[in-house]
Amino acid sequence: MKEKVLKRLLLIFGICFFLLFFLTPFLWMVAVSFSSSPNLAVRGGFRFTMENYSNILGNKNLHFPDYLKNSLIVSSLSSIISAIIGGMCAYVISRFRFRGRTILILSVLALSMFPQICIVGYLFKIMSSASWINTYRALFFPYVAFSLPLALWILLGYFSQIPGEIDEAALVDGATRWQTFFKVIVPITLPGFLSAFLLLFMFAFNEFLFALMLTVDHRARTVPVGIALFQGLHGEIPWGNIMASSVLSCLPLVLIAVAAQRYVIRGLTGGALK
Amino acid sequence: MNKDHRNIALFTAPLLFFILLFVLLPVLGTLYTSFFRDVSFMEREFVGAGNYLRLLRDSRFLKSLLFTLVFALLSVGFEMILGMGAALVLNETFPGRGLIRGIALIPWAIPAVVGARIWQLIYRFDYGLANILAMRFFGEKVNWLGTPSGALFSLVAADVWRTTPFVAIILLAGLQAVPGETHEQGKIDGAGLFQRFLYITLPAVRPVLIVALLFRTIDALRVFDIVYIMTGGGPSGTTTPVSLYGYGYFLMGDFGYGSAVSISLFLIAFILSLVFLKTGRFREAAL
Repeated sequence: MKEKVLKRLLLIFGICFFLLFFLTPFLWMVAVSFSSSPNLAVRGGFRFTMENYSNILGNKNLHFPDYLKNSLIVSSLSSIISAIIGGMCAYVISRFRFRGRTILILSVLALSMFPQICIVGYLFKIMSSASWINTYRALFFPYVAFSLPLALWILLGYFSQIPGEIDEAALVDGATRWQTFFKVIVPITLPGFLSAFLLLFMFAFNEFLFALMLTVDHRARTVPVGIALFQGLHGEIPWGNIMASSVLSCLPLVLIAVAAQRYVIRGLTGGALK
Repeated sequence: MNKDHRNIALFTAPLLFFILLFVLLPVLGTLYTSFFRDVSFMEREFVGAGNYLRLLRDSRFLKSLLFTLVFALLSVGFEMILGMGAALVLNETFPGRGLIRGIALIPWAIPAVVGARIWQLIYRFDYGLANILAMRFFGEKVNWLGTPSGALFSLVAADVWRTTPFVAIILLAGLQAVPGETHEQGKIDGAGLFQRFLYITLPAVRPVLIVALLFRTIDALRVFDIVYIMTGGGPSGTTTPVSLYGYGYFLMGDFGYGSAVSISLFLIAFILSLVFLKTGRFREAAL
């Protein structure tokens, strides 16, 4: 009986502790974004205002809407393509035992372990000589490539749960492998593709180093780089604007995390455990 | 049979195209460049292992390497402990668990850059949250980002906040695989709450723990964004991780030395992963 009480107390303490720990910094950001001054320490420091938001959305020189647009375009395109390409490869890996199969899986995973800094220097040279610096292409191709191991890993877990008889049935009916994959397998593994897409989107939307090195201005610069390089006119950090843009850029991700946590968690753990 | 081979080639070709061209080629290019003196607007010159020998004598590089290792050790250590705590909480059944799981994902789901900006504001000397609390409890302010030890602590705390959710989710999956009967058996045998955690839960999640440890260590060693924003490597270079050190050389147009710095970071991450995998398997065999 004593143990039950102890366990309950520990649980309540744990919930409160982690809620405070995870949420306080986040709420601080939201509060400052709606305050006319970032100095919340003094009494009366918080005065509600929408000025920060109207500023970042309305002031043409800050380019925040451009950054947001660039981020959304590059992240959605690269994660859709990465999920499809990773899915195609995961499908044949789960269906055929061919020579070099294990080597393929292991080397793709090993490549994902390379620190980004080992890639970005030479990537900069490649992109410069192709005159791709400061274009969507400069980010799209590396993002797809860098997220493919994750896509492969997540979807491999899903395809290996689908029995091969389903493919056989479609093939006997005269479908090609191509048709079998896109018309039979993809529709039944749609939750897996959703998990993969959400995680890949988060990865691409949050990426910083490539975007910092391979973009120059608002024509291709993404939200993280924009927020990192926000400068005030006189060198003072414009906290209100930074926090308002942070809140707006967090919105899609927080929505994904809270509304689709089941898919995100399944994608993460399927990848880590299988 | 032939048709199968054609299909395998057709389905794997796009993945190989992207990975070979945009991961493997740049990696090999970086390795190749690291053997040259390759500075913008200067003639490229082969120097063999010259850049690597220079690394060994470069005290700023060695300092940044030491910082990277200390940072990784501290932040991964705290993340493992807190992540395990969070996973144990999230594994219990209570009303609103789904919502709390979603909330727990937030620090990890939002951009690292945003997290770093939030913590930078929290650590501000004059009106940051950290000093509001410090004033209330200790009566004096702390220079969080302005001293070497303060900056190290602040960076670790920010990183722990951001990545504990990731560790928690991975460990949660491990916890769910522990059969409930073993716990019941442990109860009957008179094992207390903490004993059951030590002797039943912990061994059962060990494989998952090692996976999380490996992922997080590799990731912590290549830390870049939060340092770039919160301290910029300062004060006086004491919090410069290897990634930022190498980036500095790329920025100056010194691709040869920057490449050698980057490759050395990969080698260290690679050796550490091998050690983890070896010790992990060794202990498994011993059990």
